[in-house]
Amino acid sequence: MKKSFAVFLKRNLAFAKLAIVSNLEYRLNYFVDAIVQPLMTTGIEILLWFAVFQGAHTATINGFGRDSYLSYALWGAFFARIATSWMYEFRMIEEISSGSINSLIVRPMSFYEYYLSQLLGYKFITTVISMIVPIIAAWMFNLPTVFSRIPLAILLCFYYLILVHTISFIVSSVAFHLTKISSFTVAKNLLMWILTGELFPLDLIPDPYKKFIIALPFSSGVFLPVGYITQRVGHAEMVQGFVSVTIGLVVLNLLGAWLWRKGLSAYVGTGA
Amino acid sequence: MSIVIETKDLTREYKTYQKPEGLKNSLQGIFKREYNSKIALNKTNLQIESGKIVGLVGANGAGKTTLLKMLSGLVAPSSGDALVLGYRPWERKYEFLRQISILLGQKNQLWWDISPVDSYALLARIYDLDIRATRKRVSDLAEMLQCSHVLTTQLRRLSLGERMKMEIIGALLHEPRILFLDEPTIGLDIVAQENIRNFLANYVKEKEPTIILTSHYMDDIATLADKLLLISKGNIVYQGSVDEFVTNSNAELAQDEKVDFEEVIRRFLETESRIR
Repeated sequence: MKKSFAVFLKRNLAFAKLAIVSNLEYRLNYFVDAIVQPLMTTGIEILLWFAVFQGAHTATINGFGRDSYLSYALWGAFFARIATSWMYEFRMIEEISSGSINSLIVRPMSFYEYYLSQLLGYKFITTVISMIVPIIAAWMFNLPTVFSRIPLAILLCFYYLILVHTISFIVSSVAFHLTKISSFTVAKNLLMWILTGELFPLDLIPDPYKKFIIALPFSSGVFLPVGYITQRVGHAEMVQGFVSVTIGLVVLNLLGAWLWRKGLSAYVGTGA
Repeated sequence: MSIVIETKDLTREYKTYQKPEGLKNSLQGIFKREYNSKIALNKTNLQIESGKIVGLVGANGAGKTTLLKMLSGLVAPSSGDALVLGYRPWERKYEFLRQISILLGQKNQLWWDISPVDSYALLARIYDLDIRATRKRVSDLAEMLQCSHVLTTQLRRLSLGERMKMEIIGALLHEPRILFLDEPTIGLDIVAQENIRNFLANYVKEKEPTIILTSHYMDDIATLADKLLLISKGNIVYQGSVDEFVTNSNAELAQDEKVDFEEVIRRFLETESRIR
């Protein structure tokens, strides 16, 4: 048992390393993904909040001042970059619809772990590199940030990432039956844009919807970790975040495992 | 010798969507679609002994690849049963997957964006191999295939022949007991084909794996195979040795006519395509 766990661990560390090695082969693409894209999102969001505060002629919205929203926009863009998996989800779908999955399913490993470890490896290196930007910006512009809260916030975001991967696994399992499903990913990501709190802080949603939406596991992607750093939420909400992600993981993994089994039995080994 | 592959009435049926020409039919297809069923492999019964090289020959669409896919666990059968090394392949037990390897000549098995040595290091982790022993094995295999100089080049930058050599090393790294080779020399020039053929022949002498080989190059089959399986429209129509097949075929010909293996197969495939 101990040996098989050690083998599992070594194998998955190798997958994580693969993600880092293969992404760093294309340095410019990686730099744009890890730094430029979130910087552009931050720029847009900061402009938006400047406009909102200027137009509203008020010092606070929902009890928080302009700097708090600017800080949320800054951290939110970088956390959102970690909490999404567009690239790997497209790869997983493509792998199934093109038949290149053949080379994976005849090896002693699972498709789920293979992509999860790659995703975590890629996000780990992205976090290490990209988080330098909001840390420096928040310090330079004196934006409301509790730096000591960053590790727990990142931990929740990474835990949520497993849920994100499970959703990608479910979406890609559908590709066994429908082949072209990239529209599913786009529709799902638009919904996530709102439900994670990337677009705006979820506490701006009116009651009674606010409570329900924050209780969903998706808020653990951006709203809870960023709210925690920028003091919009406290420890209790963070604990609630870990619990709701755990429940989501159990439910969605059961669904994913069922869909995967159904998909594999219908698979025709395309392209081989 | 023990039986390592055994199938009983192994059958696979495919359903394919039929789309008649035109925009009108595309619009109708949103609501109602018609499917055709085709039996790709029909009630196949096989027994293959360990250490044998089996050449699987048939026209395009005859069912060769479907049989390979089922025996390697890529595809589940519609009905019937198969045991490979005592396992049902489509259950994909790790103990089973550790003992087989499949090389699809038209597909990459290694990772496109990294160098072969990085891919082999990853394979060593997947198959739980000793890293040092794996490096030594890679070096030995690369030397045999005369391709040591490209081991550190990104896979996507290699020529087809070099890539195929890298794929072969990857497929043999964990010393599989059963090797499925689907057109391993496809698209290669004559010299590269011969290199790979010689390499496989030497490898088989040394390690004695069981190999199921499909190829459109009859030299591959004639040089390597101990046993021939002829497949036609999903049915196995001949099982036996290559020599026996040629002798039988010659016996059916006029007295003054004598043909070699390649010619016999060519005639068989021609007849097949006329019937189809």
